[in-house]
Amino acid sequence: MADLDRAIAQLRACRPIPENEVRELCHKARELLIEEGNVVTVQAPVTICGDIHGQFHDLMELFRVGGDVPDTNYLFMGDFVDRGFYSLESFLLLLCLKVRYPDRMTLIRGNHESRQITTVYGFYDECLRKYGSANVWRYCCDVFDYLALGAIVLGASNTLSPSTGAGGGSSEPIPPELGLTEDDIEIEVRNADGHIMSRFPRQERARRAAAAAAAAARRSNSNGSPTNGAAPAPPEREVVVSAPSNTGPPGSGASGSSGGSVGNPAGAVLCVHGGLSPLIDKVDKIRLLDRKQEVPHEGAMCDLLWSDPDEIDGWGLSPRGAGFLFGADIVKVFNHRNDLSLIARAHQLVMEGFKEMFDATIVTVWSAPNYCYRCGNVAALLELSEDESGLGTYARSNGDVNRSDGGMGDGGGGGGGGGGGQRGVLAENELMSLRMRPGPARRYRVFQAAPQDSRGMPAKKPVADYFL
Amino acid sequence: MMAQPVPHQTSDKKRVKVYELKDNDWWDRGTGFCSAGYVPVEEGQPKEPRVIVESEEDPQRLLLETKIVKDDGFQKQQDTLIVWAENGVDMALSFQEAEGCALIWRFIDSIQQTFQPAIGVHDDSLSDELAMDLPATIQLPPAELGALGELEATMRMMSQTANGRDALAKAIMNDDYINKLIPLIEMAEDLESLQDLHRLCNIMKTILLLNDTGIIEHAVSDDCVLGVVGALEYDPDFPSHKANHRQWLNSQGRYKEVVRIEDDNVRRKIHQTYRLQYLKDVVLARILDDPTFSVLNSLIFFNQVDIVQHLQSNGGFLSDLFSIFADPHEAQLRKKEAVLFIQQCCAIAKNLQPPARQTLYNNFLAHGLLQVINFGLRNYDVTVRVGATDILVSMIDHDPQMIRHTIYRQIQEKQPPLTDTLIDLLLVEVDLGIKSQISDALKVLLDPTPQGGPPPEARGEFVVGQPRVRPQAAIDPQQELFLTSFYEHSAVRLFKPLLDLEKRTEMKFGVLNDGIFSYLNDILCFYIRQHHHRSKFFVLQHNIAQRFIQLLSCREKHLQLVAIRFFRQLVVLQDEFYVKHLAEKQILGPVLDVLLRTMPRDNLLCSACLEIFQLINKENIKDLIKHLVENYREKVMALAYMDTFRDILSRYDQTQGYTIGPEQYFLESEDEVARRPSNARGGGSMMEQLITDPAQEEYFNTSDDEEESSQVQARGPLAPSTNGSATPKPALVEYNSDEEADDPNGDAVMSSADPLPSEGEASKENQKPPSTAASAAAAAAAAAAAASASGPPPERLSEKRRREEDDEDELGKMMQQHKRRNSTSAAANSVAGNGSSPTQQTQQTLRRKKSFASSSSGRESPVNGASTNGGGAAGKKIAISIAPMIKTAAAAAAAAAATGAGGRSDDESKMI
Repeated sequence: MADLDRAIAQLRACRPIPENEVRELCHKARELLIEEGNVVTVQAPVTICGDIHGQFHDLMELFRVGGDVPDTNYLFMGDFVDRGFYSLESFLLLLCLKVRYPDRMTLIRGNHESRQITTVYGFYDECLRKYGSANVWRYCCDVFDYLALGAIVLGASNTLSPSTGAGGGSSEPIPPELGLTEDDIEIEVRNADGHIMSRFPRQERARRAAAAAAAAARRSNSNGSPTNGAAPAPPEREVVVSAPSNTGPPGSGASGSSGGSVGNPAGAVLCVHGGLSPLIDKVDKIRLLDRKQEVPHEGAMCDLLWSDPDEIDGWGLSPRGAGFLFGADIVKVFNHRNDLSLIARAHQLVMEGFKEMFDATIVTVWSAPNYCYRCGNVAALLELSEDESGLGTYARSNGDVNRSDGGMGDGGGGGGGGGGGQRGVLAENELMSLRMRPGPARRYRVFQAAPQDSRGMPAKKPVADYFL
Repeated sequence: MMAQPVPHQTSDKKRVKVYELKDNDWWDRGTGFCSAGYVPVEEGQPKEPRVIVESEEDPQRLLLETKIVKDDGFQKQQDTLIVWAENGVDMALSFQEAEGCALIWRFIDSIQQTFQPAIGVHDDSLSDELAMDLPATIQLPPAELGALGELEATMRMMSQTANGRDALAKAIMNDDYINKLIPLIEMAEDLESLQDLHRLCNIMKTILLLNDTGIIEHAVSDDCVLGVVGALEYDPDFPSHKANHRQWLNSQGRYKEVVRIEDDNVRRKIHQTYRLQYLKDVVLARILDDPTFSVLNSLIFFNQVDIVQHLQSNGGFLSDLFSIFADPHEAQLRKKEAVLFIQQCCAIAKNLQPPARQTLYNNFLAHGLLQVINFGLRNYDVTVRVGATDILVSMIDHDPQMIRHTIYRQIQEKQPPLTDTLIDLLLVEVDLGIKSQISDALKVLLDPTPQGGPPPEARGEFVVGQPRVRPQAAIDPQQELFLTSFYEHSAVRLFKPLLDLEKRTEMKFGVLNDGIFSYLNDILCFYIRQHHHRSKFFVLQHNIAQRFIQLLSCREKHLQLVAIRFFRQLVVLQDEFYVKHLAEKQILGPVLDVLLRTMPRDNLLCSACLEIFQLINKENIKDLIKHLVENYREKVMALAYMDTFRDILSRYDQTQGYTIGPEQYFLESEDEVARRPSNARGGGSMMEQLITDPAQEEYFNTSDDEEESSQVQARGPLAPSTNGSATPKPALVEYNSDEEADDPNGDAVMSSADPLPSEGEASKENQKPPSTAASAAAAAAAAAAAASASGPPPERLSEKRRREEDDEDELGKMMQQHKRRNSTSAAANSVAGNGSSPTQQTQQTLRRKKSFASSSSGRESPVNGASTNGGGAAGKKIAISIAPMIKTAAAAAAAAAATGAGGRSDDESKMI
C-alpha cells in the first residue's frame, strides 16, 4: 500500500511511474477487474463522470470540484485516454485509485480503451515517447480488455443530499413564496465553486402537492393539465426562480412515496459509455458477453461503447461507422423493460457539460473541459445522492441472470398516466401507457478547464534521439 | 515516379486524365501522374511554376507540361477538375482523387494569387476599389522593439483574410523578416521586457500559422530555428512559464550518426525533419490548427521520403552500414545504434509507396538484413531485441511471402529456420512487447493464405484476430512443405510450456511466466482456424484439451480464462471433429464446474463460461446439447434458473419423445433442408459425397495434384456455382462468435436456417447413415405429424420476434446491413415462408452460397431484394412463417415419398 500511495502521489504530480511499477499495477488491476461483472453494481451516492481524454490537469480540477478520492465515490464512464497530452498519467492515476480504493472507484470501458483507437488518437504515441517502448501501452491495453462494460447505480435518492463538494454545503434557500422545499428539487446545477446556478423542481411532486391542497376545480384550471396523458405537455422544465408556481403547501411530498413502487424509489441508473444496442434488450443480456477482447467492430459490445442517442424514431445508422443511433422510443422501452429511471452515458461532446434528452430518460455527461485544448466547452459531473429512507437499498444479487422484469410494482393508483404525460410527448400510443420511473434527483457540477498556470504548457514529449 | 525532385511532389494520389477540347469533344490525351511545382528551366534563370503530367505507362513521356501564367485562367471545377485555356486550346485535368486535385490546385492558386494585387495593410484600404489598386507587396513596420506593438496588431488584422495572409506571407519571405526579428529576442531578454517577449511570441505564432510551406521551411532552417523557437518560449498564455526549446534543440548529441552521411543536403533534411517534429509535437502542439498540422506532416513526410530514397540508393553507405555487423571487433554500442538506425528506416518505410518500400527492403536484404535480425534477436540488450523484432515485423507487414521464402530456403538447406529462433525467443523473452510481436509474427508466417491477400495493417498487432475472408485453396507447395516441417519439428517446441503441464500436479506459475499461456492459446486458436487437419492431428496427438483443463484448476482467474477461450474456439468452429473431441474429452464438465464454482458472483470468468453455453444453445449444436444433458444433467439442472440452461434442457427433453429420425428432422428443421441439397446436388455417387473436406482430402492425397482438381472432385462435377478458389468456408467458420452469440436474430438462425455452408456440416452429412428413400419418407411423415401437432418452435423465439416487430423496421435494415448471416437467413426464410417449393429453396441456397463467395457486395445481392422490400420485413416474417414452412416442407417430402423413388428422388434428397 505504501508503494501504491507513493505512486498515487507521484502521478498526482503528473509524473509517470516507472515501467515495472506500471506492470505491477496492471497485474493488480487485472485481478480486481476480473472479479467485476460486465455490469458493475454501484450503490449511491456516486459521482458520475464522462470522457477525460488525457486532460490530466482538468481531471485534477474535477477532483477538486467533485471532492477527492476516497471521500467521494466516483464512476468514470470511459475514454480516459487519447487526444490530450497526459493520457498516461490520467489513466494510471485512475487505475491506481481503483486498486487502492476498489469500492470507491468504478471504471468502465469507453471506445477509446482499445488497441486500434489508441494507435490512431495518441495514447500509443504518448507511451512510446514517454517510455521509449510500447510496453506500457500494451500493459494498459491488457487492462482495457478487463474493464467492465457498464454499471448500474442502485439506491439513488429522489432528493438531493446537502452539497459536500467544492464550496461546501452552500445550501442557498429556495424563495419561500415558491412553496417548495429542498426535497422538491429534481435537478440542481452548481458551478465549480459550489454556487447554485439553477434549480428545477420535480414537477410531478409539485403537482401532487398541489393536488393534496387545492380543490379539483383549481387543478383543472391549471395549465396543460399534465395528468392528462393525451395532452402533449411541454417537456420544458420551469426554472424555480422564475416559476410563477403557486402549488400546495411545503413538505407535502413525503419521501419515497412518489413512484409508489417497492424497492428502489428512484429506479436504477444504467451507466454505459456509448449507449444501447439493438442486440441488448435487457441489461442481463450484457452479462452474457465475454468482454475480454479488443472492442469488436460490430455486435453488442461494440454498440454499447459506440452508439449515440439521436432525435429519430427507432434505430439509425451511426455516422461514426460503428454502433447505432437510437431514438427516444428505444430509450423509453428499454428503461421500462429494465426498470431503469435513467441512462447516463458519455461519448459525445456537449458544450454545456451535460445534456438531458428524451424527457430526462437519458443524459450525456462530458468531463473534458475545453476539449482538445480548443473546443471551448465546459465540463460536468453528475452527483446522485444516497437514498436514506432505507427503501432503496436492496442489493441486487450479482449474476442473477434471470432477473424478472415484471416487477415494475406500479403500486400507486391514479398515477397511471402521470408518469408518461408528465414527461412530455411520447411518440407512440403504446408508449403512453409506459410508466416511467421517477428519475433520481440529480446535481450537476459544471466546471471549466483548469487555470492555465496550474499546468505546464501542454505539449507532447519530444523524441529524445534521432538517427533520421 | 520518385525520380524528379519537384517540390510539392506527393504520392500517386494525383492520378489524372489529361483532356483537350477538340472539335467540341474532350479528347483523352492519356492517364498519368500529375505534379506541380517550380521547375528549373535553364541554368541561371529563375525557376518557373509548372504543372507536369507524366504518362502512367511510360514515365519518361510527359503528357503535359504547362507553365502557369496569368492569362490561362486556371479554374477548379467540382472536386476533381481543373480547367484552363492554353494557347487558345481548352484543357482539363480530371483527377482520380479530390485530395490530389486540391493539392495541385493549392499550388496553382497560390501562383495565381501572386498575379493579383494583394490587399493592403491599412484599415482605410478595406473598400473594394482601393484594394484592387494596392501594390502586390506590403510594407511591414520596421523590425524594432519599439514597433512590436504595431507589428503585432498589423499582423493579427491581416491574418484575418485569405488575401491578407498571402500578402503577409509574401512580405515576410521577401524581406527575410524572420531573420530581422530574431535579434530582437535577445535584446528583449536582456532588457527583461516580458511584454516585448510576449509580443514576439504572438508575432511568431501568427507567422507560423500563416500555414505557408516556404515560411515553415525557412523557420526550421539552421539560421532561424533557434530564434524562432526562442521567441515561442515566452507564451503569454502561460505568463509565469518559460519553455526551454532552445536548450532542447541546441543540445548536441541528439543526432546520432552511425555511418557518416556525405550529402550535406540530406543531412540538413534530417535535422530539419527533427525540428519540424519538435515544432509539431511540442512548440505548437496546443495551438496547431488542422491546415498547419497537415502542412507540417506533409513536410515531414516528403523529407523522410527523400532521405530514405537517398540512403537506399547509396550503395557505399549501405555497405558501410551492414559491414558493422560483419566486424567481430566492432563495439556493441555501434552495432546497437546500427540496429536502431535500420529500425527507424523501416518505420519510415511504412509510409512509402509499396514499390519504393519493396526496393528498400530488397536493397537491405541484399546487404544482409537477415543476419542483422538474427544478431538482434539473440542480443542480450533488450533495446536491440526490440529493434530487431520491429524490423522483422515491419517486413512481415510489408510482405510475409518474402520471409516465408527465406524460411523455406533455410529448411531446404537444413539450417535452423527463422521460426525456431522466434519460438525460442518467445518462450524465454521477458519483454512483453517483443513477446506479443513475435506471437503475431508466428501467426502471419504460418498463415497459409496465398499471396495477394490484404496486407496486414500497421504494426500487425490486431490484424490476426479479425475475421478475414480466407480462401483455403491454392496453398503453394513451398508453404505446404514449410507447414509440414513446422508441425513435424517446431510445433512441439512452441507449445512446450503447455505440453509440459502434463507432468505438473500443481498449477502454480510465477507472475513472469504465466503470460505465455495466453500467447500460446492465441497462436493455437489461430492455427486451429487456419491449418485444419494438421492442427486437428496436433490437438489430438498431444491431448491439448486435457492440458487446458488442467489450467482450469489454477487459482489465477486469467489463466482459467485462457482455457475457457480455447474451448470456446473449439465450439465456435462447429466442426464435427472438435465437437466430438469436446464430448470425448469431457471438457464441458469442468467448464460447468467453473461456472458452478463462481456462479453466485457475477464476474468475467462467469460471463466467459456463459457465452460458451449460450453459443451451444443458440447454434443448437445438438451433439453437445446431448452430451451435456446426458452426462451432466444435474449440473445443468442446478443452473436451469438461467434461460440458457433451461433452453438446453428443454431442447434435449423435447427430442426425447420421438424416434431418432423425426427428432433429428424436426430439430434440424430448415437448416438441414437448406443445406442438404447443396451437398447431394453433386448427384449420384456415394464416393463423391464421402470426400467433402477438400483440405483433408488433399492431405491424404499428398500428390502434387493441383488444388483445383481436388476441389472439383470434392464438390462433384455439377457444382458450377462454387468457385474453387473462393471457397468461403473457413472464413465463415472463423467468424468470431461474440456478435453472433448475442444476436437476437441468431435465434432465427438457430431454429430455422443455418446459413453456414461450413465444412463441419459437410462432413457431418457423411457421418449420418445414408438416407434411403424409405427412411426419408418415414421421417418426413413423422415430421409432418409433429409439425402439425405440436410443431411450433421454442416459445422464446416467437416472443423475441414479436418484440422485434415492436421495434422499428430500421432495426431490421440495420441488421441486414450489418450482419450477413441475418440477412441471408432472413431472405431464405421468407422465401420458404412464401410457400415456395423445395427446388426454389435449393436455388436460394445456391444463390446464397454464391453471394457469400462473392464477398461482401453479396450482401446487397438480389436475394434480399427479391424476397422482401427490406430487412425489417424479412425479419418479421420469420416468426410467422416457421411453422407453415415446416409443414410445407414436410408435406412436400411426404408427397415425394408417396410418389416413390422415380422422378422425384432428386427433390427428395434435397429435402432430407
